[in-house]
Amino acid sequence: MTLETTHCLLRMYEEHHALEDYQGGVPRWCNGCGDNAILAAMQRLCRDNDLRPEKTMFVSGIGCSSRLPHYMKTYGFHGIHGRALPVAEGIKMARPDLNVFVNTGDGDCCSIGAAHWIHAIRYNMNMVVVLHDNHVYGLTKKQASPTSPRGLKSNTTPRGAYLEALNPLTVTLGIQNVSFVAQAVDWIPEVLYDIFSAAFHHRGLSFVRVLQRCPEFLPKMFDPWLQDPQKTMLLTHEKGLKLSANLAKVYKNQRQHDPLDLNAAREIASIDDPIPVGILYQNPEVPCYEDLRHAGQFRTSDYVKAGLEKEFDKYTVWPSDQDESKPAA
Amino acid sequence: MHMNVDVEGQMVDPLIFYLTGKQPDSGKKAFANKRPALLAAYNDLTRLRYDFPLVLIDGKVAGAPVRSLSVLIDDLLQKVAPPGMESEQLRKMILRIEREIRTMSAAGESGLLSELWDKVAAKLEQADASFGKQVRIARAALEVDGQVIDCNVDTAKYFIMHLWSAVQEEKARQFRATVSRLAVKLADILRADYLRSPAGLSAESLRAGIGPTHRGLIDFAAMSALLPKASKGEGLSEARRHRIESALAILKGQRFFAAASGQPRPDEVEPYSFRFDKCADALAAYKARLPELVELVKAMAIAELEIDNAYAEAKHDVIFAGFDAGSLSPQDTALFPDYVVSMGDGNGALDNAAVMSALSSGVPLKVLVNIDDIVEEGPSGVGYSASGLRNVQLANVAAGLGEVFVLQSVSSNLGQLRDRIMRGLEFNGPALFSVFGGVQAKGAALPAYLSAAAAMQSRAFPAFSYDPSAGPDMASRFSLENNPQVEADWTAEAFDYADGNLQRIRQEVAFTLVDFLVCDSRYHHHFVKPPRSLAQERMVPVAQWLARAPNESGDNVPYVLVTGSDSVLSRVIVDERTISAARRCRDNWHRLQELGGVHNSFAARLLAREKQVWEEQKQQEIASLKPTASAAAPATAAPAAAAPAAAPAAAPEAAAEPARSPDEAYIETERCSSCNECTLLNDRMFKYNENKQAFIADIKAGTYAQLVEAAESCQLGIIHPGKPINPNEPGLDELMKRAEPFQ
Repeated sequence: MTLETTHCLLRMYEEHHALEDYQGGVPRWCNGCGDNAILAAMQRLCRDNDLRPEKTMFVSGIGCSSRLPHYMKTYGFHGIHGRALPVAEGIKMARPDLNVFVNTGDGDCCSIGAAHWIHAIRYNMNMVVVLHDNHVYGLTKKQASPTSPRGLKSNTTPRGAYLEALNPLTVTLGIQNVSFVAQAVDWIPEVLYDIFSAAFHHRGLSFVRVLQRCPEFLPKMFDPWLQDPQKTMLLTHEKGLKLSANLAKVYKNQRQHDPLDLNAAREIASIDDPIPVGILYQNPEVPCYEDLRHAGQFRTSDYVKAGLEKEFDKYTVWPSDQDESKPAA
Repeated sequence: MHMNVDVEGQMVDPLIFYLTGKQPDSGKKAFANKRPALLAAYNDLTRLRYDFPLVLIDGKVAGAPVRSLSVLIDDLLQKVAPPGMESEQLRKMILRIEREIRTMSAAGESGLLSELWDKVAAKLEQADASFGKQVRIARAALEVDGQVIDCNVDTAKYFIMHLWSAVQEEKARQFRATVSRLAVKLADILRADYLRSPAGLSAESLRAGIGPTHRGLIDFAAMSALLPKASKGEGLSEARRHRIESALAILKGQRFFAAASGQPRPDEVEPYSFRFDKCADALAAYKARLPELVELVKAMAIAELEIDNAYAEAKHDVIFAGFDAGSLSPQDTALFPDYVVSMGDGNGALDNAAVMSALSSGVPLKVLVNIDDIVEEGPSGVGYSASGLRNVQLANVAAGLGEVFVLQSVSSNLGQLRDRIMRGLEFNGPALFSVFGGVQAKGAALPAYLSAAAAMQSRAFPAFSYDPSAGPDMASRFSLENNPQVEADWTAEAFDYADGNLQRIRQEVAFTLVDFLVCDSRYHHHFVKPPRSLAQERMVPVAQWLARAPNESGDNVPYVLVTGSDSVLSRVIVDERTISAARRCRDNWHRLQELGGVHNSFAARLLAREKQVWEEQKQQEIASLKPTASAAAPATAAPAAAAPAAAPAAAPEAAAEPARSPDEAYIETERCSSCNECTLLNDRMFKYNENKQAFIADIKAGTYAQLVEAAESCQLGIIHPGKPINPNEPGLDELMKRAEPFQ
């Protein structure tokens, strides 16, 4: 319940921010790194939605991707490996008024943090999760990650990776309560921004996988897709992405896909080539965990303290009945 | 039922009676205890399972806040005695209890469902010992409880007040949650300020914040000297502190909502009451409380801004200094309780003008007018109805105000209209509920339920609603949907009876205002039994009579079918005054039909005009085809084909590319992925735009060699070097060769 008057007063004096207001220092990523494109799109999103920096939170784990909060002039939490999601969930639970973003990499999310990833999708808390997927551990100088393609030679797989790559899209789409799944590529900035925008405005956990170039360790990985627009399949729909005319002229390989169609989303997610780009699935009806768990009672510190005292008192041994601190029966 | 047609009676010439309404005194007595033939089957309502009595459900439980006793019992049967031989006995017992409760309720006994159930169960157990353990189990399975109300003149008051309370309780719940949040957050700001103040950072205060186990390990004096150095910024300004404390005090002292149950108000201030029995009292209370409401809204707005750290004194101080009643938006006032006024028509003393004035005052009023007489006495005295049917018109007039939610209904129909009534109570604006509870006391010959139902069935008091929030036009806002046979002038039902030879006869019998008046003893002198000598052909059913023009009747007279306590069917002749009243009633119904889009005269006129145009057009087409009929035959086979095919949806056009010389260097800025390659090479030649995408800012700020190098290092290949602008740059031949793939 909020007064109309308050809305008006807030709207009358809204502050507007420039892109620079969200830029927190010069990125230390390699030249040509796809993380730069993700950072630029994020900063545009913040500016265009006038997100108040003090109400915006970027949470990350460990890896190249996870340096992103350092470059945003908002609140940030550069956490521990694989644990970005539980930290973000805690923040959202305590402060549902904050805009929470999570930046995680293919190692951070799909390897050490895989359990948290699965349960975060199931919890469906209102936040945007960006998986920076460059198919390799870059920060530690080229080891195979769960999404490395089979045969990739790296420091840990000198004879080539033995296993098929894990597909984060099909995994996410197989989890109960999934509500938003999209795939973007860092080399089509317009679509990257549009997907971030749709993810931000979706209520629930928005999972965006961004295929991202690592010019240092996998410089040729995405060359075939960069050079041939036909190898990128753009998913369009009136409820999903709408392409600009200029982009539609370059990327002619398009497919109409209703983001509510989960079965079709799963089928599309399994396609490796051409790379599907767009919103695969979006269901605004899935409840958010923070809404389900909202008890109605505003939990002040006194309220929590009284509840804890009551529970502890059940197991307290009172020295005597005359003890003054003993609560009345 | 066994009935015989009886046309006995004694009277003056029927035609004279029809025209003058005069009859011998004995005729009046002979007419007592008659009711319309269609109501003959409803002599004992307590033996029927219908939607009354209703149960006003206590507390906040899942499901509707008002339910029919029969629905509750059906749910219970489903739970404890599902269909089947083994639970047949229990089913019968529970249904018996339901019947007994219905009988008690009809006899005027009221109370909670649990109380009535226990009373009935105890009585039945005394008479029959088999009513025992099983019934007690069934009673325990009855999960809800509440006041049981039968259909009478007070039904609407209890029913609507109960729903109003449910709506207000939901508002209160939301308000309490908001105010509790605001109060805690404001207190947090004050608390945080205290903790950073010299007093909060004193050794004593710090010491008090640590538990006794580790207290001895810390030097609080040293900590107190150290912490202020690390503390940044100053404390709250005096103005801000005052603002927060004032807002907090107002939030805590407000009287518009009671504290949650079980939580007494600390200051023991009684919350305001919002129930009134006069519009004037409600308006006066609203005006008296308005300044307090303004202060409360202001405090809430200030609190929200302070909590959000969005209060800017330079901007907001001026606004709040001039904040008054005019600053409140309708959405703001809708968050607070509505003022409910419950009033009866008090023997025709209802002041329609005062009600209209109150409804159009902009105050959030919910007015219930409980009507117990719709055929109001005219200036001629008892038994002569006024032409305006004033009480019936009350809701019509209110609907004309435009921004008032209006619902008119009879009390017997309230159960069906529950959701619509809720919409009216939740409507953000004034609302009028005009409910007829059945003819009471003065001339009542029927139970209130039947009397009310008959009023709606006879169009004397049709149900309708007008909901301004339902849409922008009349078609969305106005609804007649709860009336039977909306398309017809009068409702008609099949009626079975046995004739003099005990042969079953079925005929369609209409139910008109005249049938409704038959039940009211004040109007009995308008009816008379026809003499035996009167030929059957001279008598015409009232509905048929009303369908004729007044001068088409010759020496015929209108009649209605009635039955008495002996279940004998008879005809009674009606006088002209009553027929006139029925005509006025039908006109009123026609007006409502038009509002509801049924037989709308404007639509009919438009349709006729369009039909005429269409026919003329067709005639012209036929005429034009005649001379060349044979030649034109194939072409007319598919007239639609002549129409231009619908153009496919236009695809968005690509923005025209700027006219550019092939020698000019440029970047496809929209495709830039912000990878920094070019800007690191030369940040004066290459710059980022407002979306952090690269463009050539100053081509003279670098060399052609750098341009070519940038094109080569750009992974997306979106940098086009063009031709060198400095012909004297060394190594141009080689550079131009390298640039070729990027042109």
